[in-house]
Amino acid sequence: MGKVVGIDLGTTNSLVAYVDEGRPVVMRDESGDALVPSVVSLDEDGTIFVGREAQRRLLAAPSRSVYSVKRFMGRGIDDVRGDAGLLPFRVSGEAGGVVRIGVGDREFTPPEISAFVLRELKHRAEEHFRKQGEFDFEVDRAVITVPAYFNDAQRTATRDAGRLAGLEVLRIINEPTAASLAYGLDKRNRGTIAVYDLGGGTFDISILKVEDGVFQVLSTNGDTHLGGDDIDRLLVEMVISDLAGSGAGGRGAGAAEGQMPPEGGPAAIEVIRRAVIQAKWDLSDVEETEIRVEPSPAVRAGYRRRITRADFERIIRPLVDRTLEPCRQALADAGLEPKDIDEAVLVGGSTRIPLVRRVVEELFERKPHSEINPDEVVALGAAVQADILVSGRREMLLLDVTPLSLGIETMGGVVSKIIVRNSTIPASGREMFTTGVDNQTGVDIHVLQGERELAADCRSLAHLHLRGIPPMVAGLPRIEVRFQIDANGILSVAARELRTGIEQTIEVKPSYGLTDQEVERMLIESFEHAEADFEARLLIDARNEAESVIHATEKVLRRADLDGVASELFEPGERERIDAALAGLKFVMAGTSRQAVHDWTHALNNVTRHLAEVTMNRTVREALAGKNVKDV
Amino acid sequence: MTPDPIPLRSPSTLECRNCGAGAPVDEHFCPQCSRILALGRHGDYFSFLGLPRKLVIDSNDLERRFRDLSRKFHPDYFYNAAPTERLASLERSSYLNDAYRALKNPVSRVEHLLAIEGLPSARSEDASTGSGQAAGKVPPSLLEEVFALNEELDEIRELRESGEDPDKLRARLERARAPIDVKRDEHERQLQELSVRWDSQEHAAVAEKRATLDALRERLLERNYINNLLATIEREVASLAGSGQPAAGSHG
Repeated sequence: MGKVVGIDLGTTNSLVAYVDEGRPVVMRDESGDALVPSVVSLDEDGTIFVGREAQRRLLAAPSRSVYSVKRFMGRGIDDVRGDAGLLPFRVSGEAGGVVRIGVGDREFTPPEISAFVLRELKHRAEEHFRKQGEFDFEVDRAVITVPAYFNDAQRTATRDAGRLAGLEVLRIINEPTAASLAYGLDKRNRGTIAVYDLGGGTFDISILKVEDGVFQVLSTNGDTHLGGDDIDRLLVEMVISDLAGSGAGGRGAGAAEGQMPPEGGPAAIEVIRRAVIQAKWDLSDVEETEIRVEPSPAVRAGYRRRITRADFERIIRPLVDRTLEPCRQALADAGLEPKDIDEAVLVGGSTRIPLVRRVVEELFERKPHSEINPDEVVALGAAVQADILVSGRREMLLLDVTPLSLGIETMGGVVSKIIVRNSTIPASGREMFTTGVDNQTGVDIHVLQGERELAADCRSLAHLHLRGIPPMVAGLPRIEVRFQIDANGILSVAARELRTGIEQTIEVKPSYGLTDQEVERMLIESFEHAEADFEARLLIDARNEAESVIHATEKVLRRADLDGVASELFEPGERERIDAALAGLKFVMAGTSRQAVHDWTHALNNVTRHLAEVTMNRTVREALAGKNVKDV
Repeated sequence: MTPDPIPLRSPSTLECRNCGAGAPVDEHFCPQCSRILALGRHGDYFSFLGLPRKLVIDSNDLERRFRDLSRKFHPDYFYNAAPTERLASLERSSYLNDAYRALKNPVSRVEHLLAIEGLPSARSEDASTGSGQAAGKVPPSLLEEVFALNEELDEIRELRESGEDPDKLRARLERARAPIDVKRDEHERQLQELSVRWDSQEHAAVAEKRATLDALRERLLERNYINNLLATIEREVASLAGSGQPAAGSHG
């Protein structure tokens, strides 16, 4: 039996965690970084890069790199046109079908792109276990989190991504609920909790009641299209409009369309995006900063603009305010007032923004919790849930709800609800059907998700075709269709004619998802690409190792300089040899030769051996961060 | 026209699919081999939760039962079990969640009681046959109010189309709403009284109990009708907000 992990598959970053002797811990890379950027990049020769490496390539090869793919999971092209404008990669698809993402001459569905990220996380976890000396380090099962407000198609797409990555998805759980599990570990208290989760691309609010270790979600609401990405986009649009010359009034009206690429194309968008993200981060700590784009081929003149926290808050206020209505709705659905909330918990990177904290504090009339790193808390909770599932431990139990009502289309295009939103899952519902024509043997059923009255306003999930109804006079068959939402929040359907007891076969045609056959085909294709992927993996591993050696070396050098102890540490010429090896390694890092990276890493390790020994003796052992020491 | 109701009454025993022993229908686990039992066609939320068929329920007690049973058969705890047990856990958990939701709310609690006592459904949107009955029939006790409201609504619609000030119309709608609200409150009270009466009739004659159930059903039908009226008023208010434009709802 392989290992089990919890995975937070995020819009911007993804993480993997596991439970080690009862405590959940996130898995870090050599340099201590827990975040794997949810970025995938394809080389001309088909090599696939994921994470930091792909992020590096966003600047060099923006049109061959994909990010924020979570926004496209389980969606149709009509849903995402607004997003596609400012993204450097190609987004296409037939009307009423799955979105396709074009990179070079290849096309991928969003689950395939997400599967690359999941494979990277799987690999990271396996490396972690292997280095711990585990004999059986394969990771074959995972709990993966999704926004609570994800619909059936989005959940199914996430599960498909897991399958494509070679993981058995034990459970899909909701991000805010996962976070509450991670918090619940420390405080075994009871009470009513509001989890406010504003991530890179999605917003969720969940209200939970915790008692006797049972985490019961009372209600959930959200917006699957609202997050840090949108904040970045507003700022990028502002810069683009400034650059277009209409800078006078701040954001020009035209920029709001979001469709106007700047003169430098995708590369320009990417450098601007990085600059505004940096400024956004700065403004969580300081009152004023500068959006600064250095002159480059993409943005020839460069760009600089001072921005205060007040400016920033004015720009993003409408976005932050959009989180309030879902919060109020969730409270109303739970039958609660803000004063009934005992604790508010912040989750997601965007909750670092002071304005967001203020808004949450005002709404729930109390200071929200953020003791656990808001980037890591979801993955930790996923690991806890994974552990519960495989260990059978019963101290904690999570009872989640389905965020959206499930219904079927009836006469006149009206939706008849079968399972209402905020029903605890697993949940089931039944509906009776009959035939309209003598000897009719089939019935078509349109399944929808959403709160609106008309089918046209709800999300189409699937068309079901019931077959094999025994021939009878019209109106006589009594076909019971049973809808079952499982603990993942995913729907399955069964039908039976009650007079004869005959089970009906049901063909399900998902509206915005992949059929099982498509997933199978993709699995086969992914094996065909496995070889190229394997090469890329080796290169990435070499680079990651190199990076950690560089990092450790530079840290010691800096420390030595600062302490003014360089003279006693270094032998004659040693410092020069180290600097040369450092420079050489950095140079080959930019290339794609694995051997070169490997050789130079080895060289750097060799010339730092003496330094490592003396610094160890000087009790700055920790400064060498473990791995380098082991290699020495 | 209306097909016979689905047999909701439970069979008297269950058979354990693991060891073949017979188990009382309200057991969740086999008394013999202690494996989780398949749900079968359980039809009674009260007995499933170990409660008597009574309408006044202590919500804390209900919640505790719900939590305890969740801990017994949630799918989380059957991850490594045999497929039949996994299915049983899924079915029992779903059924538990449905039962808890139905019994938590006093109105759906009454609806469930009526169903298991064999009375026809009181839900107006009972779409089982798609024939949409009930909608047209005004409960006699509401005739007066319905009549007055419909007249008022017709007038308001006319005025709206001829461009009357929406604020004035909104005020008229509020006034039209008041007597309906009164009726609804009255119904809530009656529903409560009848619930208490039902609970005291445990050992009463069949006819007496039946009279209470019929009265409960009457109240529910009226209640549904009242809610429809309130919804109609809400829709009118909403279409006023559309600044004189007829509401966009051209689908179908």
